[in-house]
Amino acid sequence: MTAEGGVQYSKIAEIKGPLVVVDDVDSAAFDELVEIETNEGERRLGKVLEVGNGKAVVQVFEGTSGLSIAGTNAKFVGKVMEMPVSKEVLGRVFDGLGRPKDGLPDPIADKFVDINGEPMNPEQREYPKDFIQTGVSVIDGLMTLIRGQKLPIFSGSGMSHNLLAAQIARQASVVGKQDDFAVVFVAIGVQYSEAEYFRRSLEESGALKRSVLFLNTADDPAIERIITPRVALTVAEYLAFDLGMHVLVIMTDMTNYAEALREISAAREEVPGRKGYPGYLYTDLSTIYERAGKLKGRKGSVTQIPILSMPSDDITHPIPDLTGYITEGQIVVGRDLFRQGVYPPINILSSLSRLMKDGIGEGSTRADHSEVSNQVYDAYSRAQEVRALAGIVGKAGLTEIDLKYMEVGDIFEKEFLTQATDENRTIEETLDLMWKIVSKLPKNEITKIKDKYVDQYYKGE
Amino acid sequence: MAAQGRIVWVSGPAVRADGMSEAKMYETVSVGNSKLIGEVIRLTGDVAFIQVYESTSGLKPGEPVVGTGNPLSVLLGPGIIGQIYDGIQRPLKELSKASGSFIGRGITTTPVDMTKKWHFVPTVSNGDEVSAGSIIGTVKESELIDHSIMIPPDHKGGKISNLVAEGDYDLETVMATTEKDGQTIELKMYHKWPVRKPRPIQKRHDPTIPLLTGQRVIDTFFPIAKGGTGSIPGAFGTGKTVTLHQIAKWADSQVVVYIGCGERGNEMTEVLVEFPHLKDPRSGKPLMDRTVLVANTSNMPVAAREASIYTGVTIAEYYRDMGKDVVLVADSTSRWAESLREMSGRLEEMPAEEGYPSYLASRLAEFYERAGRVQALGSPDRNGSVTLIGAVSPSGGDFTEPVTTHTMRFIKTFWALDAKLAYSRHYPSINWMNSYSGYLADVAKWWSKNISEDWLDVRSQAYAILQREDTLKEIVRLLGPEALPDEEKIILEVARMIKIGLLQQNSFDDVDTFCSPEKQFKLMKLLVDFYNKGQQAIKDGASLADIRALPIISLLLKARMDVKDDEMSKLDKLDADMQEQFKSITGVKVTN
Amino acid sequence: MSQRHPLASNSALEITIDKILKNTEKDILSNIKSALDDSHHNLDDSIRKLEHEYDKVISNGKKEADKIEKQIVGSADIETRNKQLLLLEDAVDKVFSKALDQISNVDRSGDYSNLIKSLLKESTQILGTSEITVFTNAKDKDVVQSALSQFSGAELSSDTIDCLGGIIAKSKDGTMKFDNTLDARIERLKPLIRKEIASTFGVGS
Repeated sequence: MTAEGGVQYSKIAEIKGPLVVVDDVDSAAFDELVEIETNEGERRLGKVLEVGNGKAVVQVFEGTSGLSIAGTNAKFVGKVMEMPVSKEVLGRVFDGLGRPKDGLPDPIADKFVDINGEPMNPEQREYPKDFIQTGVSVIDGLMTLIRGQKLPIFSGSGMSHNLLAAQIARQASVVGKQDDFAVVFVAIGVQYSEAEYFRRSLEESGALKRSVLFLNTADDPAIERIITPRVALTVAEYLAFDLGMHVLVIMTDMTNYAEALREISAAREEVPGRKGYPGYLYTDLSTIYERAGKLKGRKGSVTQIPILSMPSDDITHPIPDLTGYITEGQIVVGRDLFRQGVYPPINILSSLSRLMKDGIGEGSTRADHSEVSNQVYDAYSRAQEVRALAGIVGKAGLTEIDLKYMEVGDIFEKEFLTQATDENRTIEETLDLMWKIVSKLPKNEITKIKDKYVDQYYKGE
Repeated sequence: MAAQGRIVWVSGPAVRADGMSEAKMYETVSVGNSKLIGEVIRLTGDVAFIQVYESTSGLKPGEPVVGTGNPLSVLLGPGIIGQIYDGIQRPLKELSKASGSFIGRGITTTPVDMTKKWHFVPTVSNGDEVSAGSIIGTVKESELIDHSIMIPPDHKGGKISNLVAEGDYDLETVMATTEKDGQTIELKMYHKWPVRKPRPIQKRHDPTIPLLTGQRVIDTFFPIAKGGTGSIPGAFGTGKTVTLHQIAKWADSQVVVYIGCGERGNEMTEVLVEFPHLKDPRSGKPLMDRTVLVANTSNMPVAAREASIYTGVTIAEYYRDMGKDVVLVADSTSRWAESLREMSGRLEEMPAEEGYPSYLASRLAEFYERAGRVQALGSPDRNGSVTLIGAVSPSGGDFTEPVTTHTMRFIKTFWALDAKLAYSRHYPSINWMNSYSGYLADVAKWWSKNISEDWLDVRSQAYAILQREDTLKEIVRLLGPEALPDEEKIILEVARMIKIGLLQQNSFDDVDTFCSPEKQFKLMKLLVDFYNKGQQAIKDGASLADIRALPIISLLLKARMDVKDDEMSKLDKLDADMQEQFKSITGVKVTN
Repeated sequence: MSQRHPLASNSALEITIDKILKNTEKDILSNIKSALDDSHHNLDDSIRKLEHEYDKVISNGKKEADKIEKQIVGSADIETRNKQLLLLEDAVDKVFSKALDQISNVDRSGDYSNLIKSLLKESTQILGTSEITVFTNAKDKDVVQSALSQFSGAELSSDTIDCLGGIIAKSKDGTMKFDNTLDARIERLKPLIRKEIASTFGVGS
């Protein structure tokens, strides 16, 4: 930061959608921060998307409504957008651009950090393998969350993903003993009530003072959403890698983020990829998700739980699809289970945690964890097949073993999957429940577990 | 005279500079005050269109652009093995020395340590005539790699003189000179080669030797040959990366080049953490001693993603030219295609399907054409191969999208990953109905010669059971399993056993992760025998329930995990037990 | 022994009846027993359920209390911290306004004219032209006017602006403006100055 300011330009060539094209600009840099001043003296922020041949294309975060060609000024600030960071951001509430929203002054910065971050050097990453106990059986047992992982929740409109994310945030961050964890909550275009639910939930668990909230609610400018996850992750990285904290970042709803990106792309008249989303949506999303991780020689970690609502519950829609290619698994919330009133309504078959394999087993959870979880997956998948079959041929057309699997499916959903929002199960309880399910099957159906574990834990027949 | 221009326009990774009339297509240039690395991809008048391999944040019109005079090239010499490079062959370890945990910009390094001394053993003598590609000596590069020092492929040959004696030399030492037509050329242990130009060869061979990966569904059902091409498409969560890692770990090649192209950072880290601890099943040496990684993760600059594929394949060809079998795994070619699309969009080219440029197909063809089993240039005579395996990440898991469909035109082995199988945790989730291999007939000769004469026959029987099951499943779906007679029910039963006991393979299980060809065959034979015995037993009056109750079944299903590669006699014992147990059920019926 | 029907003799009949009776008795007994078991079981169950309910009520109450405690303690912590932040900001503001007072009253001779010159120079460099109109406040008018002699093409506007000191340079075509007032410069440095002030109060890292 220097005392040298930027030049203000007043020749506006064009205003379209969220973009302002400034003419006769000879000194602007790609990605530079821009301050737009309206006729009325209101200041808005933006950044340079394209510069050259005397023109600069500026994306205005707070939207262009009310701007006019005459009387609008654009000041090129001479630096990229930065977020002031310090330990004092904990317990604070910011808006979608990282400005205080809690009536308190700007945080006194330890330093100012480029919100775009820099890519982690893969050679400098530390492979994540520390198990996080969320206390939610289906996650801990079958799609274990690991410190430094990015594990999204794929949901649909109106389902209980927020309940689940809040439960994870509360239970994964046991207050009192350790003070090396923090929660960064990022609301991206969600309703105020949803953001408030999270705030209250964090307050009730006493975690609010270890949390930072970034709120861009539904009535806030849409283009601001491009920035919101980036300022939040800049803070998260600072807390993790400068201060050594284990940071859990919850971002909801990434679909709103992608829509803001599409809006800009459309305004730039770019050739669209699938469903009108820009061809670089994958790369762009990765610059958010890949900011999760652990680094060699540093204590902290950034764990991400992005939440996204799948348009029409369609998992092949570009947003969940491209997200799934970047994240390390996904937790899929299922409409059927939700309708049946199951909580958490997680569809385990399409859910997955890629990092689970290295974070479980002897020394972290229990030696039999991997195999018993494979068997539960297998059994539930068989149960679903049998249920589908029973729907057509009726129970009478089923074999004895088919009926067993149906029973297993019911027990799975009623006793293992179903859990109260304030029920915090230990990993031992979770594993015992999994054996209870497996033990409903005759021994010769157990093909995925080694005999020594079967001898030790199997309770059937 | 190198081009000296100025930036006139910046948009993301794309930069236009004027005053570039001296620049050549695909020349590398230094961009801006922070000296970012870029490559000229279009010339119009004196304006050059440049793709920049580093983040252009903060770049301004007016900043200088300077040509290097050279096309984008890789440095080829000892020291490459065991490295992890970015898309333009900068060692990530060196980058971290310069910029810490995060990747900074404008850092220049050498791809290998130029000062490290290697023990050189000459294999030619002064006065020998050599030609392009000839080997002049060897260096022990790693426990597993004898690195041949070769005359560059574009060298015109000549008579060797000034050859150094056996000893330790660094890369900049002149190892020998060649004389031809009064011209003296110095030879060092390394040379550079432009990545977009395939390295020349003597001649191509047909790929007929299987690349053994230790993965049953691949080796036994959908084999790939050394020097062949394969593609592995699949939606997210279908286990593409795990399957590719398995191939990189266990394939019987001498060198593995693994390109992480636009994929997850942690996946590269995983390889880096895991490979040094894993032992090559054939030599017992650490796998890292034969592996080179090229990493352009999804959040790294998109232009370098495009280059990473070429960087990787050029390194692969270099080791092939030494007479080695090289496997190149590219995860994922879709991300590479997307980087083409992004640059094409910025160039404002006319898009074809889904916004991809019209030259997507020809670029894919060129890439896969660089596979092959060949006789290398120069002397001595030697054969090497590059096997190319590319992952495809079809959007929405839809195999009709452009990258998948174009890829299918240029590859011969297709391993179709199936989300349904993955959801039920059937791994590897290679769908046996949609996958195919164009090498089956070629590699069958190898199997019948080395493993068993009736390999092809047993494989066909096993595959036929799976095919029959697929049609029967339709009936079951409509009428339920009880609608089938026992001799058809047993098909379902055995198909299930083949799936669990043969097709599925647990890559996290110490024993199951790798399966020798002998074990693959014996497991398959046991299951096919079980089927034949079962059918016979039913004919002899046994019921399906009797067969289902045979205790041998669960042993057959677990044999893949229970029986180690050096315990083949256990499988013979299973065979004997199976015969006995079948006798017992048909025996009961006879005495009745 | 002659063959007779088993029910031919009275005693045999008795035995049989006895047998039937015994069996029935066993049945009855076992029925009674199982009923008893059942009721015991039910009772056990109810007690267990009751205990469970009781535990649940207690544990829910405890959970609720726990929640409230955490909430109160947590909120109190934050409130204290926030008060601190506000106090600190108050102090920073005081220091700031004092500094601004001093600046606006600084002597306009000697060094100050050098400052104006360097501000002008910087402005023409950044705008890339010396064809500029310069604006300043009434106090600085003379200093600026005399400094302008070194910048051909630059002229002082007759309009004055409201600021502590320094200048605003505008290109003559009106498309570019560079704010080089002391106010703007201080504003840009404010975050750094705040940090410094805070650290003298022993806050911040």
